[in-house]
Amino acid sequence: MRTGWCTSVLVFCAGIILIPVAIGYQEKAAPTAENPTFGDFSQRVGQYLKLRKSAPGERTTKNQEEIRDRRRALAQGIRQARAGAKQGDIFTPEISEQFLRVIRSTLQGPNTSNARKTIRQGEPVSTVHLSVNGAYPEGLPRTTVPPTLLLRLPQLPERLAYRIVGHDFVLEDTEARLVIDFIPGALP
Amino acid sequence: MRTIRRVTFLLVVLSVALSFSLRAQDFSLPVKSGSVRFAAIGDMGTGEPAQYEVAQRMFQFHETFPFTFVIMLGDNLYGGKTPDDFKKKFELPYKSLLDAGVQFYAALGNHDDPNERFYKFFNMNGQQYYSFKKGNVHFFVLDSDYLDPKQLAWLEKELASAGPTDWKICYFHHPLYSSGAFHGSSTELRTILEPVFIKYGVQVVFSGHDHVYERVKPQKGIYYFMEGASGELRAGNLRKTDMTAAGFDKDRSFLMVEISGDDLYFQAISRTGMVVDSGTIQRPGTASVVGR
Repeated sequence: MRTGWCTSVLVFCAGIILIPVAIGYQEKAAPTAENPTFGDFSQRVGQYLKLRKSAPGERTTKNQEEIRDRRRALAQGIRQARAGAKQGDIFTPEISEQFLRVIRSTLQGPNTSNARKTIRQGEPVSTVHLSVNGAYPEGLPRTTVPPTLLLRLPQLPERLAYRIVGHDFVLEDTEARLVIDFIPGALP
Repeated sequence: MRTIRRVTFLLVVLSVALSFSLRAQDFSLPVKSGSVRFAAIGDMGTGEPAQYEVAQRMFQFHETFPFTFVIMLGDNLYGGKTPDDFKKKFELPYKSLLDAGVQFYAALGNHDDPNERFYKFFNMNGQQYYSFKKGNVHFFVLDSDYLDPKQLAWLEKELASAGPTDWKICYFHHPLYSSGAFHGSSTELRTILEPVFIKYGVQVVFSGHDHVYERVKPQKGIYYFMEGASGELRAGNLRKTDMTAAGFDKDRSFLMVEISGDDLYFQAISRTGMVVDSGTIQRPGTASVVGR
């Protein structure tokens, strides 16, 4: 019994030591705009998904009240499970830096006028106040995320999407319609 | 005074007769046995009287052209998305069609909530992009607001698995070709989607977004329709270009389409019932288009 407890402590300590080492190793892989690694972004997204895994699955219905109530319940559950979540929990400074490099090279480099035009054609909104765990601004148009940008970013699992809101780059839970995290001022 | 009344009466009679004869004369969809018949609407979900009037006109035409489904080209609901909004901006305007068993298949526009995919009336089965088949016509419905690699891979797989003798029709919100002054062509989407459409033999594409009607001359063998004025309207916003085959920006409109074998017949109808464009497309590879 005691041996089992000791083993658990050892494994936990090893994890504490080795995980940052592993993350540090990934970060040292000299990411560039052409070949970004995005650090432990995928793990952080995975942790978020685990947290909402127990949420009941959506189903189609003609009853809009039912869809609205399920969305509200899901959002409330996620807020409770992530109480204390703050901007930068997923888009850490290191991860944000890599996203910013890719966003800027997609939108500001040579031959990027089409991508900028995509955003303009998506009826971009002016500045909106965002908060983590806050509702995605209701009634606002979805600004089209340039497909050439999506091609260069880490793919997201179902239920999550990148959004552009004003100048901010947002990670949204599309079922709960919640802001999971965002990079303020990421868009030129 | 009496003369004025007589002239007024005559004018009313004449205008009614003219309107009737235009409809009767121009309504020329063949309604062939076993054909695939549908309507197309875009940018409609305002809840304003004009949307209701277009819907009423669609129902009127449904009596002579019994289409079985409607493709929705996005911006299905503007503004609020409360349960009452869904009634006011969808269920009530199209009640007569819904009651007649007409089905609606929605694409998401930039004003739509992704959770509309769970709304059973939109037949999206919980998916932001999906495909369905009617007769010999395969429809591929995209979410052009979020064309990520996953969606592109899905599209290629779906197109590859479509039957070689099927019509392949794609629809989504943002137009690859548009002479609308407000938005214009979505050139970035075009650079990504057009090669895929060509590779897999897509014949026809429907979009909305610019609040006018436009039929574009075939581009690299593909026919493009833009119907973004079934509720919203930007009057006078169409700047006809070399690529414009036909257009209408004076009033709201909708499209009616019939596919029978290798022929696709179409008519664009205004809110007041005028036929503003019509023609026949023969499936590329078999023959050509005849516009009127």
